[in-house]
Amino acid sequence: MDIQVYIQSGIIESYVLGLADKEEAAELEKLRLVHPEIQQAITDFEKALETQASAHAMQPPAGLKARLFSELQLNETRIENEEGMAPVIPVNIFTNTYRTGFLKKLAVAAAVLLIGSFLLNIYYYRKYREVSKENAELIAAQSNQYVHKDIFETRTKELQNDINLLSDSSMLKVVLPGVAGKESNSAVVFWKKDTKDVYIAAAKLTPAPEGKQYQLWALLDGKPIDAGLISDCATVCKLKNIKAAQAFAITLEDKGGSPTPHLDQLVVMGKI
Amino acid sequence: MKALQRYSEEQLVILLKQHEQAAFSYLYDNYSASLYGAISGIIPDPDATPDILQEVFVKIWKQIGAYDESRGRLFTWMLTIARNTAIDTLRSKNWKNNRKNNELTEDMISLAGSTLTNTDTIGLRKIVHSLKQEYRVLVELSYFEGYTQEDISNKLGIPLGTVKTRLRKALSELSMMIKI
Repeated sequence: MDIQVYIQSGIIESYVLGLADKEEAAELEKLRLVHPEIQQAITDFEKALETQASAHAMQPPAGLKARLFSELQLNETRIENEEGMAPVIPVNIFTNTYRTGFLKKLAVAAAVLLIGSFLLNIYYYRKYREVSKENAELIAAQSNQYVHKDIFETRTKELQNDINLLSDSSMLKVVLPGVAGKESNSAVVFWKKDTKDVYIAAAKLTPAPEGKQYQLWALLDGKPIDAGLISDCATVCKLKNIKAAQAFAITLEDKGGSPTPHLDQLVVMGKI
Repeated sequence: MKALQRYSEEQLVILLKQHEQAAFSYLYDNYSASLYGAISGIIPDPDATPDILQEVFVKIWKQIGAYDESRGRLFTWMLTIARNTAIDTLRSKNWKNNRKNNELTEDMISLAGSTLTNTDTIGLRKIVHSLKQEYRVLVELSYFEGYTQEDISNKLGIPLGTVKTRLRKALSELSMMIKI
């Protein structure tokens, strides 16, 4: 398309004066975006039209402006100043027209809401932090309780087993009282007659010093037989299998035990 | 001495869209005379023109939100409102009853073509009247009386294509005369 021919075809004037039909107008609106010359020609004609209208302006009757403003319920804001010289029109977007007044109120309301919302956000965020912390603590406490529960369950089970074991009719109970000078100590040996298993309840022994360990001996015909080392034993612990014995004794030995007992270190002893 | 606060067209439009009263007052002070002249060119009845101008400014105030700067200058938009309002009045019942010009008749055409002489017309219309006859009729009927090109084609018995081309040529020529 020859743009100059298009521009001079009268289409520009036809469009600006509102005489172009829809298709012509649509075409021109597309072309003006692509061709600056067309845009320029439109503006030129618009300006010429405005200048022409201004050159042939006619003053409307006085009082028409007042009538117009009263119809629109507006105030005539063209005010003569004291000298009657310079009419001043305030350039202020926020004068009190009904519209801007409303917008102003709206803006204030929006600002109040925004601040309110902001404060609520802070409040809820703090609350959220507190609750999160509490929640974490509760979870920790709960898992801690689970651990304890497991421990107690295990313990209960052990105790139950121990009771079952001790209440067995084939179980022989041998009390080992403390020897002279060691009276505060005592222990109980359970010897199962059918299986010959030996168990000990050693809670009442003075805790063994560092590097030392209690050792149980079965005595048969004056000969000591190693019946096992007593480790950390909360309730009843199983030791070695002893076929036959007349008495049981516990000595304090070096850690790891001895092949023969140091009888000077005898703590408790009891006969069957 | 006039010491009015000056607005650029861009500022003026922004303020008008805010429904800023002072801007509207400024608009009236600066453009009412141009628009009054333009309306007078369409309706040569001094009794009717003030009401039309008032209606035009009411429309401008209420419809400014619909004004799209990318489509044209503010004055062009206002001029279109003025022209449409004037033509609507021209076609309204009361006006027709008073004038008894209900149809686009031969009388109208002759009116358009010759009855209004240069001395009766002002502004743009006066320039239009200096165009040659076949151009003048088309601009009169379309711009000043608001007939569509199809209406004109039917009533004048000229093919639509010819009406289109001829009107465009007429407007192009008119443009040259205005710009001088």
